[in-house]
Amino acid sequence: MSTTISQHDPVPTEVLDGAVAPYSRDKTYVFTALFLAVVTVVEVLAVELPDFPLWSGNMLVPVLLLLMAVKFFTVAWVFMHLKFDKPILTWAFYSGLLLALGVYVMMLTMFRLWYGDSASVRSS
Amino acid sequence: MSHPTVTEADAHATGAHIEHDTNTGISNTKLAMWLFLASECLLFGGLITTYLLYKTPLEGPSGKDLYDIPFTSASSFVLLMSSLTMVLAVSAIERGDHHRMRVWLGATGLLGATFIAGQIYEFTAFYREGLGFTTSRFSSAFYTLTGFHGVHVTVGIIMLVSLVFLSVRGKLPEHRSETVEVVGLYWHFVDVVWILIFGIVYLIP
Repeated sequence: MSTTISQHDPVPTEVLDGAVAPYSRDKTYVFTALFLAVVTVVEVLAVELPDFPLWSGNMLVPVLLLLMAVKFFTVAWVFMHLKFDKPILTWAFYSGLLLALGVYVMMLTMFRLWYGDSASVRSS
Repeated sequence: MSHPTVTEADAHATGAHIEHDTNTGISNTKLAMWLFLASECLLFGGLITTYLLYKTPLEGPSGKDLYDIPFTSASSFVLLMSSLTMVLAVSAIERGDHHRMRVWLGATGLLGATFIAGQIYEFTAFYREGLGFTTSRFSSAFYTLTGFHGVHVTVGIIMLVSLVFLSVRGKLPEHRSETVEVVGLYWHFVDVVWILIFGIVYLIP
């Protein structure tokens, strides 16, 4: 079976290699970018207004990590098309990411970065 | 569901794509780029970890004394928006709209260049404040991490400019839109790495 696509039709991405669902329309990308911009603003506000109840005290770091993760996975999911491509690509990328995360969390633990008495690391 | 294939003649039709004859059904180029990006996670993971270990300087100024959060936030916003223009370029080539693709690629390159200009300005300001590459272990870790990222952005800009030239010379037909998509993957990765660097280096106290 063959297919011909006219100039202004969006490409049916089932025909594209690797894609298992049609890619988003441009409007979706624009809304995603706006969402990312808002998250960035919240990140900066969290640092500039540390006494705001939502992220005051010990909550600041977890909130910043959460916002960072939201931005990271939104870009990977929508802009990098992991949402639409074959799962093998998601596995390939997340394998590397998880391996890196595991290795370096272990390394930071070994250097006692998470503990209050990490002065020995800092002065070594 | 069986995917429709594209005949040799149709492959030259505007917007047509050839399904690759590989075990995975994914082109080797695209799979290779994803595997490369996975390996890059280890590279940047190592650099970020080193920074975290050395972020408290024994001598010289610290990051807290130097960082200009509003300025870096603006730079981050510029790089974030370059991801939007990049994905719009991919979308345009898949519609067969070469003119818009070139416009979006050009915009992406310009936003990337703006980010690099901001980084050069920041490095210069830090140097004038007394933070050289060898001033402290903090400064070495900081410049290595952000410098490596800057080199990645610069390589991305070179790829974008190359794509524009290829397109102008008619060597980037729609059935090769995957080339733009693969460069886009690299560009988005550079963006997600900056999302991590911005959070971990600049924002988290």
